[in-house]
Amino acid sequence: MNNNLQQQHDRTMVRVQQGLDRRYRQEKRFQRIGLGAIILGLVFVSFLFISIIANGYTAFQQTYVKIDVNFDPEMIAPIGETDQEVLSKANYGGLVKKTLRDMFPEVTNRREKKVLYSLVSTGASFQLRDMVMQDPALIGTQQSVWVLADDDVDMLIKGHIDLNVPESDRRIKNNQMAWIQSLQAEDRIEKRFNTIFFSAGDSREPELSGIKGAVHGSFFTLMICLLISFPVGVAAAVYLEEFAPKNRWTDIIEVNINNLAAVPSIVFGLLGLAVFINFFGLPRSVPLVGGLVLALMTLPTIIIASRAALKSVPPSIREAALGVGASPMQTITHHVLPLAMPGMLTGTIIGMAQALGETAPLLMIGMVAFIVDIPGGPFDPSAVLPVQIYLWADSPERAFVERTSAAIMVLLAFLISMNLLAVWLRKKFERRW
Amino acid sequence: MQSTTLIIVLLGLMTLAYYMGRKRSLSLVNGRVRDLHSLPSYYGIHTALWCGVPALILFVFWISFEGAVVTGMVVDNLPQEIQELPPERLNLVMNDIRNLAQGDIVSREVDETMQGAADHYSSLLRISDMSLFVIGLSVAILGGLLAQRSINRHQRARNRVEKAINFFLVSSSSLAIFTTIGIVLSVLFESIRFFQQIPVTEFIFGLEWSPQTAIRADQVGSSGVFGAIPLFAGTFLITIIAMFVAVPIGLMSAIYMAEYAGKHFRALAKPVLEVLAGIPTVVYGFFAALTVAPFFRDLGTSLGLSVSSESALAAGVVMGIMIIPFVSSLSDDVINAVPQAMRDGSYGLGATRSETIRQVIIPAALPGIVGGVLLAVSRAIGETMIVVMAAGLSANLTANPLEAVTTVTVQIVTLLVGDQEFDSAKTLAAFALALVLFTITLALNMIALHIVRKYREQYE
Amino acid sequence: MKKLISAAVALSLTGFVGMASARDYISVVGSSTVYPFATVVAEQFGKTTKFKTPKIESTGSGGGLKLFCAGVGVEHPDITNASRRIKKSEVDRCAGNGINDIIEVKVGYDGIALANSKAAPRFSVSRKDIFLALAKEVPDPKDPASGKLVANPYQTWKDVNKDLPDMAIEVLGPPPTSGTRDAFAELAMEGGCKKIDWIKAMKKKDKKMYKSVCHTVREDGKYIEAGENDNLIVQKLEANKGALGVFGYSFLDQNSDKVQGSLVDGVAPTFELIADGSYPVSRPLYFYVKKAHMGKIPGIEEYLAEFTSDKAWGDDGYLADKGLIPMPTEERKAFKSDVDSKTSLKL
Repeated sequence: MNNNLQQQHDRTMVRVQQGLDRRYRQEKRFQRIGLGAIILGLVFVSFLFISIIANGYTAFQQTYVKIDVNFDPEMIAPIGETDQEVLSKANYGGLVKKTLRDMFPEVTNRREKKVLYSLVSTGASFQLRDMVMQDPALIGTQQSVWVLADDDVDMLIKGHIDLNVPESDRRIKNNQMAWIQSLQAEDRIEKRFNTIFFSAGDSREPELSGIKGAVHGSFFTLMICLLISFPVGVAAAVYLEEFAPKNRWTDIIEVNINNLAAVPSIVFGLLGLAVFINFFGLPRSVPLVGGLVLALMTLPTIIIASRAALKSVPPSIREAALGVGASPMQTITHHVLPLAMPGMLTGTIIGMAQALGETAPLLMIGMVAFIVDIPGGPFDPSAVLPVQIYLWADSPERAFVERTSAAIMVLLAFLISMNLLAVWLRKKFERRW
Repeated sequence: MQSTTLIIVLLGLMTLAYYMGRKRSLSLVNGRVRDLHSLPSYYGIHTALWCGVPALILFVFWISFEGAVVTGMVVDNLPQEIQELPPERLNLVMNDIRNLAQGDIVSREVDETMQGAADHYSSLLRISDMSLFVIGLSVAILGGLLAQRSINRHQRARNRVEKAINFFLVSSSSLAIFTTIGIVLSVLFESIRFFQQIPVTEFIFGLEWSPQTAIRADQVGSSGVFGAIPLFAGTFLITIIAMFVAVPIGLMSAIYMAEYAGKHFRALAKPVLEVLAGIPTVVYGFFAALTVAPFFRDLGTSLGLSVSSESALAAGVVMGIMIIPFVSSLSDDVINAVPQAMRDGSYGLGATRSETIRQVIIPAALPGIVGGVLLAVSRAIGETMIVVMAAGLSANLTANPLEAVTTVTVQIVTLLVGDQEFDSAKTLAAFALALVLFTITLALNMIALHIVRKYREQYE
Repeated sequence: MKKLISAAVALSLTGFVGMASARDYISVVGSSTVYPFATVVAEQFGKTTKFKTPKIESTGSGGGLKLFCAGVGVEHPDITNASRRIKKSEVDRCAGNGINDIIEVKVGYDGIALANSKAAPRFSVSRKDIFLALAKEVPDPKDPASGKLVANPYQTWKDVNKDLPDMAIEVLGPPPTSGTRDAFAELAMEGGCKKIDWIKAMKKKDKKMYKSVCHTVREDGKYIEAGENDNLIVQKLEANKGALGVFGYSFLDQNSDKVQGSLVDGVAPTFELIADGSYPVSRPLYFYVKKAHMGKIPGIEEYLAEFTSDKAWGDDGYLADKGLIPMPTEERKAFKSDVDSKTSLKL
């Protein structure tokens, strides 16, 4: 009998043990799946960053070619000429071509010459022009000048062109290869830090294009956006959280703000197109309109964050202030608002970061034009960084791929520093009550 | 430049008015603050507001009418034959005059009348600016002085100031309403115009989408079919794919973070995952088009499948990656909101962690999770840049994720970018699509918020 | 006086912000085929003169002309690029909106290439093949001479012509707003259509019917309208080896490492063969200028001068480097003198 019980007990134990094993295995598996999900997410982040950096880091360097320019008075202007008008009108393109012909006298065929000329960028002639205009005494002298290489040459030097494919499939032909190798042998080719990328506006030539115009455009757009959305957002949050009576109207406003936060950004673009451009007749492609649209878009984010910040200020503070005779408005402005400010600022910075990266609504209001000049104010047509990325991503020249990635790196750097600032603010001023 | 100086001077004046008002209130009661109705600073602010606000209103009005008045006066002085021109030509002439007056860029040899008009224009502008300066400042000073004069110890300065602030607060919070009204009106009007040309039923139930209409009478274009079903199907397909990526990964990582992860791991992994949410969508688009799509295509080719270069799969997967942090942070919230007592009860019965999670926590948190997923869906539907850059334009009606599909947002962008005509069905169709998009996301959002709120109440 | 006030009100409404700053840059819209050339000229112009760089938007020839013809005034564009000649209907539309004087400038020539990825075999088609593959309705394949039209039944290129590869028909091309589409319909489709005798005979009897048969492109998904952006088409071709794309020669030239032009009627789309006219699908490129804006918007004359200078559109000019096929010297001279004397277009 006893034995029987013991047996039964043992059987149960074995069963339980087996069940436990199975359950522990399940537990382990489940935990591993969870960890796997997180690791997968982290892998996505790192893969994204690696692929962008790998594509883009080379854009921070630019290839230059040294050419020996004979500033021939016959081609530019007589020695002693200082009139800027005359100096700027001279045929510098011809000068560059002649220099290249002199460097490679064996090239005579018209087709070959054309290929030869394409070794250096069309920007080279502007470079020579600027040199001469700055120092007219150069005319009649012989100078070694480092000029920009063409984007194809640049791509070759950076190793983006696969030389194993047949010649006809390459942008760089064999004869060009020979010239480039002879230039390299003479140490006439060198890579330098790409300052143009940070100091120029958009261009059709990859080697002449830069992000300064887009950065300026983004700056003006964000300024307009901030000037509107921050005061209005904070005021709305204060009203809704602290003053609003509980009635239909405030209910509607509440639901509304929550819904606006979920409206697709492209719809805000349509709003901008219909209201600001078609109705008010504001010009297309200007940061003013972009800023207005983005302000409306970020407003819900700021309001929601600000309300959360206000909510986190404990009621005891308000009660104490009211208790010593402060008016409700005094309570808010003197006590609650300063305590909630870090949270509000954090929310605003995050909203601004969102606005900085937003593209779709700006496409609707014509901010996708080719704009070379660097905008000087919120009324000048301009692009913004994400739109510039979009435009370059669509450009045919291979060299724009690395520039797009580089522009993305700049944009991400801005965004990450804004987010870090927000985190720092939160850490520094956050109070636990 | 002029207006900047004016604003700066005005700000200076307001500061001055503040101190003067404060000083006067104090001197009225010989420094005994408690004899005053309000604190001295309220008298200061009251004075400053009277100084600044009327001047600012005047300034805004002046600026908005200045152009018209000055232009009218310049036009008045132009030779008869120019005045006779139709308004749009006059507009051009004025543009020339303005450019001439600004002086930096001239369109051609300057003739005398034009130079005269330009001089006239700039002198008028100067006069206008000067008078604005003088009048604006006098209004400011006058307002400030009057307010300062009116100060007495019984004046309810605080209440007045608070009323002004309250006005600002109320109007700020109403802006959200105006935005919504603006969206609805701007989308609705153009949509109505669209539905006058194309029947609603054809738009909603039509199986073919080919929005290109002939733009000249003598051109043979496409027939212009506006059946939006392929777009809805495409949007749906991409959203589903995105959800297949985002929901398991997002949910599982939220569970791991909430239930298993150590403090350090959590502090490290959470912000890194949240980076995904902060990356601009245009970057995802570039990533999808340049890296992910070719990868899927090559993978497909090596498996003997034909994968379109702008497959729904690539766009959907990348969109899913974008949404992971969205799902995970929402689920994290709801999982943390499940009361500890429920966990403890389950552990007390001998359940393992994973059993507790699967059989207690998730069922309890389910409504919240569903709400979060619905919010994520509404976000995926409205997402634009990823699909613009990585999804196709061909409106295929297919459920095969390896083929190219197009989405509502892609079509809105293609229909509107570069085209500024508001009389063709093609442009108006974009607004009709936007109306659909707005309605769907709105409905999803309402449902989701409702579910989440219901759920929260359950445990509060 | 009343008129003046109303004019002033109209002015202030149209240019609410205009009063803050007048438009001091040229606004250009139009063809995506001319866009790469126009932007290069604009950049040169901006860098070498005191004027601002023109703002250029790519809207397609048709879209551009529509905007261009919307009226005179600062809010309307000054110049539109077109990859086909302006049509009578468009001139009328312009005139209806008060634009009577338009200066036409022919820029050069461009071939329309039918290209595919380099990874796929090179195509050699006739214009008739193109028509049969892409038209909405084609002669009944069972009895081609019967004069009966049926909805296009061809699924693969091999169905069209047994010498062609056995690949599904998939052509990415521009939408009807595009001049490339117009030119493609006229030169390639109609060119092939004419090879069928009974359709050709129809031209005399029922011109409208003839045009609709020859120009209507199928809409069953074999011809994919890929938007105005020619770059996009090139990118998609590179990715999709089974597809052909329709776009300008300049894009083919820029992307010669990725895509190859098909032979049309046995002729390859190369610089020389397009220039001497032997490539059958080539068309001139134009831009149109509003005369009323000259002298009012700064820099238009100088922009025209830059565009029509030999260093830009000449045989050795920078536009030729970008893939534009220059006009013969005589033709260039004629257009240059038209520009200099501001001679208006007459149709």
